[in-house]
Amino acid sequence: MAISIADLSKEELFGQGHAGCGGCGAAVAGRQAMKALGSRTIITIPASCMATLGGSNLKTTWQIPFYHTLFEMAPAVSSGIRAALEAQGIEDVNVVSWAGDAGTADIGFQSLTGAAERNEHMIHVCYDNEMYMNTGGQTGSQTPMYAITSNMSKGKAVKKKNMLAIMQAHEIDYVASASIAYPLDLIAKFKKAAEKPGFSYIHILAPCHRGWQIPAEKTIEYARLAVESGLFELYEVDEGVRNRTFEPTFIPVADYLTTQGRFKHLTSEQVVKLQKSINVYYGRGGDEE
Amino acid sequence: MVKNLPVVPTAKAGSLVETPTGITWRIQYPEILANCNICLECTLFCPDGAIVQQEGKLVLTLKLCKGCGICANECEENAIQMIPEYSGVKGVFR
Repeated sequence: MAISIADLSKEELFGQGHAGCGGCGAAVAGRQAMKALGSRTIITIPASCMATLGGSNLKTTWQIPFYHTLFEMAPAVSSGIRAALEAQGIEDVNVVSWAGDAGTADIGFQSLTGAAERNEHMIHVCYDNEMYMNTGGQTGSQTPMYAITSNMSKGKAVKKKNMLAIMQAHEIDYVASASIAYPLDLIAKFKKAAEKPGFSYIHILAPCHRGWQIPAEKTIEYARLAVESGLFELYEVDEGVRNRTFEPTFIPVADYLTTQGRFKHLTSEQVVKLQKSINVYYGRGGDEE
Repeated sequence: MVKNLPVVPTAKAGSLVETPTGITWRIQYPEILANCNICLECTLFCPDGAIVQQEGKLVLTLKLCKGCGICANECEENAIQMIPEYSGVKGVFR
């Protein structure tokens, strides 16, 4: 059951020499995912950091077929690739569409929900850095409440859209959340998703140190703190059965939030409010009124 | 039967490895110290694939490293140390 790092594939299918920033969370997510998916994979990526750091058409860091789609259609292109593979009788290939939070939850949502409804045999991955980082860090629907972005200097006023619950409502084969700080958990989820005959959705929390205004070397650390504080839950819904894959230790949310530049303006009332919502969600009492 | 994938690549696969993008950005580089217990976690945390495992050993390719410092920050044994790239007047790229 348990996977050990030494047993993982030695192939470096993505990431070597990529064009992203030093300490890029998306690149970490890509490398970890490719360890699970292997070389028999075709990936489609819409406009996002992940597409640009894969390289231009003269040079690429991908060792597998990589198709840079238009912004709103990665799952639709993947559906077409799967249909073409099926017509040729090729069955051992994973078809993956890999989009950022905008390509998944906002501009890319219509093709995603269409592919999920048709239950296409593919995996859709959302690497979530909670902002539109490739265009300069604007607010999107996956930006958490209160976060400062380049176009909301006082912080976002409304909550983050629960994309995992939306995908769960499609009643697809497999829905999972993952964090780049827990690579073996992430890899196990990708392996599970690859074996499903229908649509799988994986939502990866991949911090962007530029947008979150944290030091580059703490990219992984903040991905871990988000999970440990309970703000990002690691779970999977396997054929309708929900299972939490990691029990957080519930560090105070203030440890995660207030050290980030994008949350530096948080008042203590706002932190208490967030902590209370976490306590209610996980059914933890002991929060004095 | 394994059929070949229907691919017409426009770029040679993995060609960025020969000309890594971020090599001139680096201001510090990692060094693996003797107390490394080869837990291999850094191989999954490196964004650039600069630290990989080969036959149970860690192999550091400085050509690929952007010097972000994730490996040193995440190492539980503190077995990776970041060293400033420019020492003295004339800095040297490895």
